[in-house]
Amino acid sequence: MIGEGTQSTNQRRHNYLQENVEVGFFTDPTVCIGCKACEVACKEWNEVPDDGFTWLGNSYDNTGHLGASTWRHVLFLEQDRQKGSQIVSSHSLGSGDGEDPFRWVFLSDVCKHCEEAGCLEACPTGAIVRTEVGSVLVQNDVCNGCGYCVVSCPFGVIDRRPQPLPDAGGAFKCTFCYDRQKSGLPPACAKVCPTESIVFGRLDDLRARATQRVQQLREHGYADAQLYDPIDTSVRGTHAFFLILGEPEAYGLPPKPQVPTIHLKSAWTAAFATAIGALIATLCAFAFL
Amino acid sequence: MPKGLKDGPFPTHYEPLESPVSNELYSHDTNPAEQWFARQENRFAPPGDPRFPYVLTTYRLTEHHTAGGMSRFLSHLAKLQPEMFAEISPELATQHKINNADYICVVTLRGAIEARALVSRRIRPLALNGKTVHQVALPYHYGTAGLVRGGAANDLLTISGEPNVTIMEAKALTCNIVPGRLPRGPAFAEFLNKYAPQTGPTILHPEERSFRKGQSGGGHAHEGKTWM
Ligand code: SF4
Ligand code: SF4
Repeated sequence: MIGEGTQSTNQRRHNYLQENVEVGFFTDPTVCIGCKACEVACKEWNEVPDDGFTWLGNSYDNTGHLGASTWRHVLFLEQDRQKGSQIVSSHSLGSGDGEDPFRWVFLSDVCKHCEEAGCLEACPTGAIVRTEVGSVLVQNDVCNGCGYCVVSCPFGVIDRRPQPLPDAGGAFKCTFCYDRQKSGLPPACAKVCPTESIVFGRLDDLRARATQRVQQLREHGYADAQLYDPIDTSVRGTHAFFLILGEPEAYGLPPKPQVPTIHLKSAWTAAFATAIGALIATLCAFAFL
Repeated sequence: MPKGLKDGPFPTHYEPLESPVSNELYSHDTNPAEQWFARQENRFAPPGDPRFPYVLTTYRLTEHHTAGGMSRFLSHLAKLQPEMFAEISPELATQHKINNADYICVVTLRGAIEARALVSRRIRPLALNGKTVHQVALPYHYGTAGLVRGGAANDLLTISGEPNVTIMEAKALTCNIVPGRLPRGPAFAEFLNKYAPQTGPTILHPEERSFRKGQSGGGHAHEGKTWM
Protein backbone atom coordinates (compact mmCIF):
# COMPACT_ATOMS: atom_id res chain seq x y z
CA MET A 1 0.00 0.00 0.00
CA ILE A 2 1.14 3.58 -0.63
CA GLY A 3 3.03 4.81 2.41
CA GLU A 4 4.38 1.37 3.25
CA GLY A 5 7.48 2.02 1.16
CA THR A 6 9.64 -1.03 0.57
CA GLN A 7 7.29 -3.07 2.78
CA SER A 8 4.46 -2.72 0.27
CA THR A 9 3.43 -6.01 -1.39
CA ASN A 10 4.31 -4.30 -4.68
CA GLN A 11 7.92 -3.92 -3.56
CA ARG A 12 8.95 -6.55 -1.04
CA ARG A 13 10.18 -10.05 -1.74
CA HIS A 14 7.76 -12.89 -1.06
CA ASN A 15 7.40 -16.67 -0.98
CA TYR A 16 3.90 -16.88 -2.43
CA LEU A 17 4.96 -19.40 -5.06
CA GLN A 18 6.74 -21.71 -2.62
CA GLU A 19 3.80 -21.49 -0.22
CA ASN A 20 1.12 -22.01 -2.94
CA VAL A 21 -0.63 -18.78 -1.96
CA GLU A 22 -3.15 -17.50 -4.50
CA VAL A 23 -2.16 -14.05 -5.68
CA GLY A 24 -3.75 -11.39 -7.86
CA PHE A 25 -3.77 -7.89 -9.24
CA PHE A 26 -6.21 -5.24 -8.09
CA THR A 27 -6.25 -2.34 -10.55
CA ASP A 28 -7.81 0.93 -9.43
CA PRO A 29 -8.26 3.56 -12.18
CA THR A 30 -9.23 6.29 -9.69
CA VAL A 31 -5.58 6.73 -8.73
CA CYS A 32 -4.03 5.88 -12.12
CA ILE A 33 -2.23 8.85 -13.70
CA GLY A 34 -1.93 7.28 -17.17
CA CYS A 35 1.88 7.31 -17.13
CA LYS A 36 2.10 3.90 -18.91
CA ALA A 37 5.05 2.92 -16.74
CA CYS A 38 3.35 -0.47 -16.28
CA GLU A 39 3.11 -0.98 -20.03
CA VAL A 40 6.76 -0.08 -20.57
CA ALA A 41 8.04 -2.12 -17.60
CA CYS A 42 6.10 -5.14 -18.89
CA LYS A 43 7.60 -4.82 -22.38
CA GLU A 44 11.09 -4.31 -20.93
CA TRP A 45 11.08 -7.22 -18.51
CA ASN A 46 9.44 -9.68 -20.87
CA GLU A 47 11.34 -8.45 -23.94
CA VAL A 48 8.10 -8.01 -25.84
CA PRO A 49 8.94 -6.92 -29.40
CA ASP A 50 7.48 -3.74 -30.91
CA ASP A 51 4.75 -4.49 -33.43
CA GLY A 52 4.85 -1.23 -35.35
CA PHE A 53 4.48 2.45 -34.59
CA THR A 54 0.93 3.53 -35.24
CA TRP A 55 -0.67 6.65 -33.91
CA LEU A 56 -4.31 5.87 -33.20
CA GLY A 57 -5.76 9.33 -32.56
CA ASN A 58 -7.66 7.90 -29.61
CA SER A 59 -6.75 10.11 -26.66
CA TYR A 60 -3.23 9.11 -25.51
CA ASP A 61 -3.77 5.43 -26.28
CA ASN A 62 -1.57 4.12 -29.10
CA THR A 63 -1.67 0.41 -28.33
CA GLY A 64 -5.44 0.05 -28.60
CA HIS A 65 -5.96 -3.31 -26.96
CA LEU A 66 -4.22 -6.24 -25.32
CA GLY A 67 -2.55 -8.66 -27.69
CA ALA A 68 0.47 -10.85 -28.36
CA SER A 69 2.80 -7.86 -27.96
CA THR A 70 0.83 -5.77 -25.45
CA TRP A 71 0.36 -7.53 -22.12
CA ARG A 72 -0.52 -4.43 -20.11
CA HIS A 73 -2.64 -1.87 -21.91
CA VAL A 74 -3.45 1.52 -20.43
CA LEU A 75 -6.85 2.54 -21.66
CA PHE A 76 -7.64 6.28 -21.93
CA LEU A 77 -11.32 6.91 -21.68
CA GLU A 78 -12.69 10.39 -22.42
CA GLN A 79 -16.25 10.27 -21.19
CA ASP A 80 -18.45 13.23 -21.85
CA ARG A 81 -21.71 11.82 -20.74
CA GLN A 82 -22.71 11.74 -17.15
CA LYS A 83 -22.75 8.17 -15.87
CA GLY A 84 -24.42 8.23 -12.52
CA SER A 85 -23.28 10.78 -9.99
CA GLN A 86 -19.77 11.99 -10.64
CA ILE A 87 -17.42 14.84 -9.79
CA VAL A 88 -17.81 17.52 -12.45
CA SER A 89 -15.69 20.45 -13.52
CA SER A 90 -17.03 23.98 -13.29
CA HIS A 91 -14.57 25.30 -15.89
CA SER A 92 -16.66 24.91 -18.98
CA LEU A 93 -17.58 27.41 -21.62
CA GLY A 94 -21.03 27.78 -23.05
CA SER A 95 -22.66 24.69 -21.56
CA GLY A 96 -25.18 26.96 -19.86
CA ASP A 97 -25.66 25.31 -16.49
CA GLY A 98 -21.93 25.58 -15.76
CA GLU A 99 -21.72 21.85 -15.16
CA ASP A 100 -19.66 19.67 -17.43
CA PRO A 101 -19.80 15.93 -16.83
CA PHE A 102 -16.57 15.35 -18.80
CA ARG A 103 -14.04 13.04 -17.23
CA TRP A 104 -10.81 11.34 -18.31
CA VAL A 105 -10.31 7.86 -16.90
CA PHE A 106 -7.20 5.68 -17.18
CA LEU A 107 -7.37 1.94 -16.65
CA SER A 108 -4.45 -0.44 -16.94
CA ASP A 109 -5.94 -3.58 -18.49
CA VAL A 110 -4.32 -7.01 -18.26
CA CYS A 111 -5.08 -10.74 -18.64
CA LYS A 112 -7.69 -11.57 -16.01
CA HIS A 113 -6.12 -14.91 -15.02
CA CYS A 114 -9.62 -16.40 -14.83
CA GLU A 115 -10.66 -18.91 -12.21
CA GLU A 116 -12.24 -20.89 -15.09
CA ALA A 117 -10.01 -19.87 -18.00
CA GLY A 118 -11.34 -20.26 -21.54
CA CYS A 119 -7.82 -20.31 -22.99
CA LEU A 120 -6.66 -23.07 -20.67
CA GLU A 121 -9.76 -25.20 -21.25
CA ALA A 122 -9.36 -24.95 -25.01
CA CYS A 123 -5.63 -25.63 -25.27
CA PRO A 124 -5.16 -29.13 -26.83
CA THR A 125 -1.41 -29.41 -26.20
CA GLY A 126 -1.35 -28.63 -22.50
CA ALA A 127 0.77 -25.56 -23.18
CA ILE A 128 -1.48 -23.44 -20.98
CA VAL A 129 -1.26 -24.36 -17.31
CA ARG A 130 -2.44 -23.15 -13.92
CA THR A 131 0.50 -22.12 -11.74
CA GLU A 132 1.10 -22.56 -8.01
CA VAL A 133 -0.14 -19.01 -7.38
CA GLY A 134 -3.35 -19.47 -9.38
CA SER A 135 -2.28 -17.58 -12.50
CA VAL A 136 -2.70 -18.89 -16.06
CA LEU A 137 0.58 -19.41 -17.93
CA VAL A 138 1.33 -20.16 -21.58
CA GLN A 139 4.44 -22.34 -21.98
CA ASN A 140 5.72 -21.08 -25.27
CA ASP A 141 7.98 -24.06 -25.93
CA VAL A 142 4.92 -26.34 -25.88
CA CYS A 143 2.44 -24.08 -27.72
CA ASN A 144 1.93 -25.26 -31.32
CA GLY A 145 0.14 -22.12 -32.48
CA CYS A 146 -3.26 -23.73 -33.17
CA GLY A 147 -5.05 -20.58 -31.94
CA TYR A 148 -7.88 -22.36 -30.08
CA CYS A 149 -7.16 -20.23 -26.99
CA VAL A 150 -7.55 -17.00 -28.97
CA VAL A 151 -11.22 -17.60 -29.75
CA SER A 152 -11.89 -19.11 -26.32
CA CYS A 153 -10.85 -16.14 -24.19
CA PRO A 154 -14.02 -14.26 -23.20
CA PHE A 155 -12.00 -11.04 -22.81
CA GLY A 156 -10.10 -11.03 -26.10
CA VAL A 157 -6.78 -11.04 -24.26
CA ILE A 158 -4.59 -13.78 -25.73
CA ASP A 159 -3.42 -13.60 -29.34
CA ARG A 160 -0.97 -15.23 -31.77
CA ARG A 161 2.07 -13.22 -32.70
CA PRO A 162 2.16 -12.36 -36.40
CA GLN A 163 5.15 -12.57 -38.76
CA PRO A 164 7.83 -11.23 -38.88
CA LEU A 165 8.09 -10.78 -35.09
CA PRO A 166 10.25 -13.12 -32.99
CA ASP A 167 8.46 -16.37 -32.01
CA ALA A 168 5.76 -15.62 -34.56
CA GLY A 169 2.83 -18.03 -34.62
CA GLY A 170 2.81 -18.78 -30.90
CA ALA A 171 0.16 -17.52 -28.50
CA PHE A 172 1.22 -14.84 -26.02
CA LYS A 173 -0.26 -12.98 -23.07
CA CYS A 174 0.62 -11.75 -19.57
CA THR A 175 2.67 -14.35 -17.68
CA PHE A 176 1.95 -12.74 -14.29
CA CYS A 177 5.75 -12.45 -14.30
CA TYR A 178 5.99 -16.11 -13.35
CA ASP A 179 9.78 -15.94 -13.71
CA ARG A 180 10.03 -13.01 -11.30
CA GLN A 181 7.62 -14.63 -8.86
CA LYS A 182 9.76 -17.78 -8.78
CA SER A 183 12.54 -15.61 -7.40
CA GLY A 184 10.22 -13.90 -4.94
CA LEU A 185 9.92 -10.68 -6.93
CA PRO A 186 6.63 -8.85 -7.53
CA PRO A 187 5.44 -8.52 -11.18
CA ALA A 188 7.16 -5.71 -13.10
CA CYS A 189 4.02 -3.60 -13.68
CA ALA A 190 3.06 -3.53 -9.99
CA LYS A 191 6.66 -2.83 -8.99
CA VAL A 192 6.87 0.34 -11.11
CA CYS A 193 3.36 1.74 -10.69
CA PRO A 194 4.03 5.08 -8.92
CA THR A 195 0.51 5.45 -7.53
CA GLU A 196 -0.13 1.80 -6.69
CA SER A 197 -3.07 1.86 -9.04
CA ILE A 198 -1.91 -1.70 -9.69
CA VAL A 199 -1.66 -3.65 -6.45
CA PHE A 200 -0.13 -7.08 -6.35
CA GLY A 201 -0.69 -9.34 -3.36
CA ARG A 202 -2.59 -12.21 -1.81
CA LEU A 203 -5.96 -12.67 -3.49
CA ASP A 204 -7.91 -12.63 -0.21
CA ASP A 205 -6.19 -9.42 0.94
CA LEU A 206 -6.85 -7.74 -2.40
CA ARG A 207 -10.53 -8.64 -2.42
CA ALA A 208 -10.98 -7.12 1.04
CA ARG A 209 -9.02 -4.04 0.02
CA ALA A 210 -11.04 -3.61 -3.18
CA THR A 211 -14.36 -3.82 -1.35
CA GLN A 212 -13.14 -1.22 1.12
CA ARG A 213 -12.01 1.10 -1.69
CA VAL A 214 -15.39 0.90 -3.47
CA GLN A 215 -17.06 1.77 -0.17
CA GLN A 216 -14.71 4.72 0.37
CA LEU A 217 -15.25 6.10 -3.13
CA ARG A 218 -19.03 5.84 -2.82
CA GLU A 219 -18.85 7.81 0.42
CA HIS A 220 -16.89 10.47 -1.47
CA GLY A 221 -19.55 10.92 -4.13
CA TYR A 222 -18.50 8.42 -6.78
CA ALA A 223 -21.86 6.72 -6.75
CA ASP A 224 -21.04 4.67 -9.86
CA ALA A 225 -17.90 3.01 -8.42
CA GLN A 226 -18.10 -0.77 -8.59
CA LEU A 227 -15.92 -3.85 -8.66
CA TYR A 228 -15.43 -5.75 -11.90
CA ASP A 229 -14.82 -9.35 -10.92
CA PRO A 230 -17.29 -11.67 -12.68
CA ILE A 231 -17.75 -14.17 -9.85
CA ASP A 232 -21.37 -14.97 -10.76
CA THR A 233 -20.60 -16.03 -14.32
CA SER A 234 -19.02 -19.23 -15.62
CA VAL A 235 -15.64 -17.48 -15.37
CA ARG A 236 -16.14 -17.76 -11.59
CA GLY A 237 -14.02 -14.76 -10.74
CA THR A 238 -10.60 -13.56 -11.77
CA HIS A 239 -7.12 -13.14 -10.34
CA ALA A 240 -6.89 -9.69 -11.89
CA PHE A 241 -9.89 -7.61 -11.04
CA PHE A 242 -10.69 -3.94 -11.49
CA LEU A 243 -12.45 -1.10 -9.83
CA ILE A 244 -14.49 0.76 -12.43
CA LEU A 245 -16.51 3.96 -12.53
CA GLY A 246 -19.67 3.42 -14.55
CA GLU A 247 -20.46 0.44 -16.70
CA PRO A 248 -17.98 -2.27 -17.78
CA GLU A 249 -18.87 -1.79 -21.47
CA ALA A 250 -17.23 1.65 -21.42
CA TYR A 251 -13.92 -0.07 -20.64
CA GLY A 252 -14.34 -2.80 -23.23
CA LEU A 253 -15.05 -5.32 -20.48
CA PRO A 254 -17.89 -7.79 -21.15
CA PRO A 255 -20.65 -7.39 -18.54
CA LYS A 256 -21.31 -11.16 -18.46
CA PRO A 257 -18.25 -13.05 -19.71
CA GLN A 258 -18.79 -16.78 -20.28
CA VAL A 259 -16.27 -19.57 -20.72
CA PRO A 260 -17.07 -21.19 -24.11
CA THR A 261 -16.87 -24.68 -22.55
CA ILE A 262 -20.28 -24.15 -20.92
CA HIS A 263 -21.65 -24.80 -24.40
CA LEU A 264 -19.82 -28.14 -24.62
CA LYS A 265 -22.69 -30.22 -23.29
CA SER A 266 -25.26 -28.83 -25.70
CA ALA A 267 -22.74 -28.97 -28.55
CA TRP A 268 -21.98 -32.64 -27.89
CA THR A 269 -25.67 -33.45 -27.43
CA ALA A 270 -26.44 -31.84 -30.79
CA ALA A 271 -23.53 -33.65 -32.45
CA PHE A 272 -24.64 -36.96 -30.95
CA ALA A 273 -28.24 -36.45 -32.10
CA THR A 274 -27.04 -35.61 -35.60
CA ALA A 275 -24.87 -38.74 -35.68
CA ILE A 276 -27.78 -40.96 -34.62
CA GLY A 277 -30.00 -39.28 -37.20
CA ALA A 278 -27.44 -39.85 -39.95
CA LEU A 279 -27.06 -43.50 -38.90
CA ILE A 280 -30.82 -44.11 -39.01
CA ALA A 281 -31.07 -42.38 -42.39
CA THR A 282 -28.28 -44.57 -43.77
CA LEU A 283 -29.89 -47.77 -42.41
CA CYS A 284 -33.24 -46.74 -43.86
CA ALA A 285 -31.63 -46.09 -47.24
CA PHE A 286 -30.21 -49.62 -47.26
CA ALA A 287 -33.47 -51.14 -45.97
CA PHE A 288 -35.35 -49.82 -49.02
CA LEU A 289 -32.80 -50.98 -51.54
CA MET B 1 13.23 43.61 -3.21
CA PRO B 2 14.37 40.16 -1.98
CA LYS B 3 18.09 39.83 -2.58
CA GLY B 4 19.00 38.52 -6.00
CA LEU B 5 15.51 38.85 -7.54
CA LYS B 6 15.47 40.91 -10.74
CA ASP B 7 11.75 41.63 -10.64
CA GLY B 8 9.35 41.92 -7.73
CA PRO B 9 9.05 42.17 -4.78
CA PHE B 10 5.46 40.98 -5.20
CA PRO B 11 4.00 38.57 -7.72
CA THR B 12 1.80 40.25 -10.31
CA HIS B 13 0.32 39.61 -13.71
CA TYR B 14 1.87 40.44 -17.05
CA GLU B 15 0.84 38.96 -20.35
CA PRO B 16 3.27 36.60 -22.11
CA LEU B 17 5.55 38.26 -24.69
CA GLU B 18 3.14 36.99 -27.33
CA SER B 19 -0.50 37.14 -26.32
CA PRO B 20 -3.87 37.30 -28.06
CA VAL B 21 -5.01 39.99 -25.56
CA SER B 22 -3.66 43.06 -23.77
CA ASN B 23 -2.95 43.24 -20.06
CA GLU B 24 -6.08 44.17 -18.09
CA LEU B 25 -4.06 45.04 -15.00
CA TYR B 26 -1.54 47.60 -16.31
CA SER B 27 -0.97 49.75 -19.35
CA HIS B 28 2.24 47.74 -19.85
CA ASP B 29 1.54 44.30 -21.37
CA THR B 30 4.75 42.43 -20.68
CA ASN B 31 7.22 42.11 -17.83
CA PRO B 32 9.56 45.13 -18.21
CA ALA B 33 12.51 43.09 -16.91
CA GLU B 34 12.08 40.31 -19.49
CA GLN B 35 14.82 39.93 -22.10
CA TRP B 36 13.90 39.96 -25.77
CA PHE B 37 16.40 38.73 -28.31
CA ALA B 38 15.63 40.73 -31.44
CA ARG B 39 16.54 38.85 -34.61
CA GLN B 40 14.72 38.44 -37.87
CA GLU B 41 14.13 34.71 -37.18
CA ASN B 42 12.97 35.46 -33.63
CA ARG B 43 10.15 37.95 -34.14
CA PHE B 44 7.32 38.38 -31.67
CA ALA B 45 3.74 38.97 -32.83
CA PRO B 46 2.15 42.08 -31.28
CA PRO B 47 -0.77 41.66 -28.82
CA GLY B 48 -3.97 40.58 -30.58
CA ASP B 49 -2.29 40.05 -33.99
CA PRO B 50 -5.20 38.80 -36.15
CA ARG B 51 -2.83 36.58 -38.15
CA PHE B 52 -2.10 34.52 -35.02
CA PRO B 53 -5.38 34.35 -33.13
CA TYR B 54 -4.81 31.19 -31.06
CA VAL B 55 -2.89 30.47 -27.91
CA LEU B 56 -0.05 28.01 -28.47
CA THR B 57 1.24 25.96 -25.58
CA THR B 58 3.76 23.12 -25.38
CA TYR B 59 4.05 20.30 -22.88
CA ARG B 60 5.65 16.94 -22.15
CA LEU B 61 4.30 13.42 -22.45
CA THR B 62 5.34 10.78 -19.91
CA GLU B 63 6.54 8.50 -22.72
CA HIS B 64 9.25 10.84 -24.00
CA HIS B 65 12.21 12.64 -22.49
CA THR B 66 13.00 16.28 -23.35
CA ALA B 67 12.99 16.78 -27.15
CA GLY B 68 12.91 13.00 -27.62
CA GLY B 69 16.60 12.58 -28.47
CA MET B 70 16.75 9.46 -26.32
CA SER B 71 13.18 8.19 -26.15
CA ARG B 72 12.44 8.39 -29.90
CA PHE B 73 15.12 5.74 -30.44
CA LEU B 74 13.72 3.26 -27.89
CA SER B 75 10.98 1.08 -29.34
CA HIS B 76 9.23 0.46 -26.02
CA LEU B 77 8.72 4.19 -25.52
CA ALA B 78 8.44 5.33 -29.14
CA LYS B 79 5.62 2.86 -29.77
CA LEU B 80 3.46 4.46 -27.12
CA GLN B 81 3.60 7.97 -28.63
CA PRO B 82 4.66 7.46 -32.23
CA GLU B 83 3.64 10.66 -33.98
CA MET B 84 3.52 14.43 -33.56
CA PHE B 85 0.04 15.68 -32.76
CA ALA B 86 -1.70 18.94 -31.92
CA GLU B 87 -4.52 18.97 -29.43
CA ILE B 88 -7.44 21.23 -30.26
CA SER B 89 -10.97 21.64 -28.94
CA PRO B 90 -14.00 20.30 -30.85
CA GLU B 91 -15.11 23.96 -31.22
CA LEU B 92 -11.91 24.97 -33.04
CA ALA B 93 -11.98 21.76 -35.11
CA THR B 94 -15.51 22.54 -36.29
CA GLN B 95 -14.51 26.10 -37.18
CA HIS B 96 -11.74 24.85 -39.48
CA LYS B 97 -13.60 21.69 -40.64
CA ILE B 98 -10.90 19.50 -39.11
CA ASN B 99 -11.62 15.88 -38.17
CA ASN B 100 -9.78 13.95 -35.50
CA ALA B 101 -6.50 12.50 -36.90
CA ASP B 102 -6.45 14.89 -39.90
CA TYR B 103 -3.14 16.54 -40.73
CA ILE B 104 -2.89 20.21 -39.84
CA CYS B 105 -0.13 22.84 -39.96
CA VAL B 106 0.68 25.02 -36.97
CA VAL B 107 2.17 28.37 -37.95
CA THR B 108 3.90 31.11 -35.94
CA LEU B 109 6.07 34.04 -37.03
CA ARG B 110 9.12 31.76 -36.59
CA GLY B 111 8.04 28.72 -38.58
CA ALA B 112 5.48 26.08 -39.45
CA ILE B 113 5.21 22.39 -38.60
CA GLU B 114 2.85 19.54 -39.42
CA ALA B 115 0.93 17.51 -36.84
CA ARG B 116 -2.05 15.16 -36.55
CA ALA B 117 -5.10 16.82 -35.02
CA LEU B 118 -6.16 15.27 -31.72
CA VAL B 119 -9.60 16.72 -31.10
CA SER B 120 -10.49 16.54 -27.44
CA ARG B 121 -12.86 18.03 -24.92
CA ARG B 122 -9.86 18.28 -22.60
CA ILE B 123 -8.77 21.37 -24.52
CA ARG B 124 -11.10 24.19 -23.55
CA PRO B 125 -11.56 27.51 -25.32
CA LEU B 126 -10.61 30.36 -22.99
CA ALA B 127 -12.78 33.36 -22.24
CA LEU B 128 -10.30 36.29 -22.24
CA ASN B 129 -11.36 39.93 -21.90
CA GLY B 130 -14.77 39.03 -23.23
CA LYS B 131 -13.58 37.14 -26.29
CA THR B 132 -13.35 33.42 -26.93
CA VAL B 133 -9.75 32.42 -27.53
CA HIS B 134 -8.89 28.92 -28.72
CA GLN B 135 -5.86 26.95 -27.65
CA VAL B 136 -3.50 24.66 -29.56
CA ALA B 137 -1.43 22.29 -27.44
CA LEU B 138 1.70 20.56 -28.70
CA PRO B 139 4.05 17.98 -27.21
CA TYR B 140 7.64 19.04 -27.94
CA HIS B 141 9.27 15.61 -28.25
CA TYR B 142 9.56 15.15 -32.00
CA GLY B 143 12.29 15.77 -34.53
CA THR B 144 13.90 14.46 -37.68
CA ALA B 145 15.56 11.25 -36.44
CA GLY B 146 14.68 8.07 -34.59
CA LEU B 147 12.17 5.23 -34.84
CA VAL B 148 9.38 7.81 -34.79
CA ARG B 149 9.68 11.30 -36.24
CA GLY B 150 7.63 14.43 -36.49
CA GLY B 151 7.47 18.20 -36.54
CA ALA B 152 9.57 19.91 -33.85
CA ALA B 153 7.46 22.23 -31.70
CA ASN B 154 10.68 24.10 -30.87
CA ASP B 155 10.67 25.43 -34.46
CA LEU B 156 7.67 27.54 -33.49
CA LEU B 157 8.99 29.08 -30.29
CA THR B 158 10.62 32.41 -29.55
CA ILE B 159 13.89 32.84 -27.70
CA SER B 160 13.53 35.16 -24.73
CA GLY B 161 14.91 35.42 -21.23
CA GLU B 162 12.88 35.33 -18.05
CA PRO B 163 14.62 37.97 -15.85
CA ASN B 164 15.80 35.67 -13.07
CA VAL B 165 16.67 32.36 -14.67
CA THR B 166 16.89 33.46 -18.34
CA ILE B 167 14.62 30.66 -19.50
CA MET B 168 12.60 31.31 -22.63
CA GLU B 169 8.84 31.52 -22.65
CA ALA B 170 7.93 28.20 -24.29
CA LYS B 171 4.50 27.64 -22.78
CA ALA B 172 2.51 30.68 -23.94
CA LEU B 173 2.69 32.02 -27.49
CA THR B 174 0.33 32.76 -30.36
CA CYS B 175 -0.21 30.77 -33.54
CA ASN B 176 -2.50 30.02 -36.43
CA ILE B 177 -3.59 26.65 -37.81
CA VAL B 178 -4.05 25.63 -41.43
CA PRO B 179 -5.81 22.32 -42.30
CA GLY B 180 -3.88 19.95 -44.55
CA ARG B 181 -0.31 18.72 -44.94
CA LEU B 182 2.74 20.95 -44.81
CA PRO B 183 4.25 21.64 -48.24
CA ARG B 184 7.90 20.51 -48.66
CA GLY B 185 10.82 21.98 -50.60
CA PRO B 186 10.46 25.41 -52.22
CA ALA B 187 6.70 25.26 -51.64
CA PHE B 188 7.38 25.39 -47.89
CA ALA B 189 8.99 28.83 -48.09
CA GLU B 190 6.03 30.05 -50.13
CA PHE B 191 3.59 28.57 -47.59
CA LEU B 192 5.41 30.13 -44.63
CA ASN B 193 5.60 33.52 -46.34
CA LYS B 194 1.87 33.42 -47.00
CA TYR B 195 0.88 32.85 -43.37
CA ALA B 196 3.89 34.45 -41.65
CA PRO B 197 5.60 37.00 -43.95
CA GLN B 198 9.34 36.52 -43.48
CA THR B 199 10.31 40.02 -44.64
CA GLY B 200 9.56 43.34 -42.93
CA PRO B 201 10.73 44.88 -39.67
CA THR B 202 12.45 42.72 -37.06
CA ILE B 203 10.57 44.30 -34.19
CA LEU B 204 6.79 44.01 -34.33
CA HIS B 205 5.85 44.03 -30.66
CA PRO B 206 5.53 47.63 -29.36
CA GLU B 207 7.14 46.81 -26.02
CA GLU B 208 10.13 45.12 -27.57
CA ARG B 209 11.05 48.55 -28.99
CA SER B 210 11.38 50.11 -25.56
CA PHE B 211 13.61 47.34 -24.29
CA ARG B 212 17.23 48.47 -23.92
CA LYS B 213 20.33 46.37 -23.66
CA GLY B 214 21.38 45.69 -20.09
CA GLN B 215 18.02 46.79 -18.70
CA SER B 216 17.39 43.58 -16.83
CA GLY B 217 20.74 43.66 -15.08
CA GLY B 218 22.61 40.92 -16.88
CA GLY B 219 22.62 37.16 -16.67
CA HIS B 220 24.60 34.17 -17.80
CA ALA B 221 22.84 33.96 -21.15
CA HIS B 222 23.85 37.44 -22.31
CA GLU B 223 27.15 36.49 -23.75
CA GLY B 224 27.23 36.01 -27.48
CA LYS B 225 23.61 37.00 -28.08
CA THR B 226 22.70 39.53 -30.72
CA TRP B 227 21.04 42.60 -29.24
CA MET B 228 19.35 45.53 -30.84
S1 SF4 C 1 -8.44 -13.46 -19.59
FE1 SF4 C 1 -8.38 -14.77 -21.42
S2 SF4 C 1 -6.19 -15.20 -21.68
FE2 SF4 C 1 -6.45 -14.45 -19.57
S3 SF4 C 1 -6.76 -16.32 -18.33
FE3 SF4 C 1 -8.80 -15.58 -18.89
S4 SF4 C 1 -9.28 -16.74 -20.75
FE4 SF4 C 1 -7.06 -16.93 -20.49
S1 SF4 D 1 2.01 2.52 -13.90
FE1 SF4 D 1 0.23 2.77 -12.53
S2 SF4 D 1 -0.29 4.98 -12.68
FE2 SF4 D 1 1.04 4.51 -14.44
S3 SF4 D 1 -0.40 3.98 -16.10
FE3 SF4 D 1 0.16 2.03 -15.11
S4 SF4 D 1 -1.47 1.72 -13.58
FE4 SF4 D 1 -1.58 3.88 -14.19
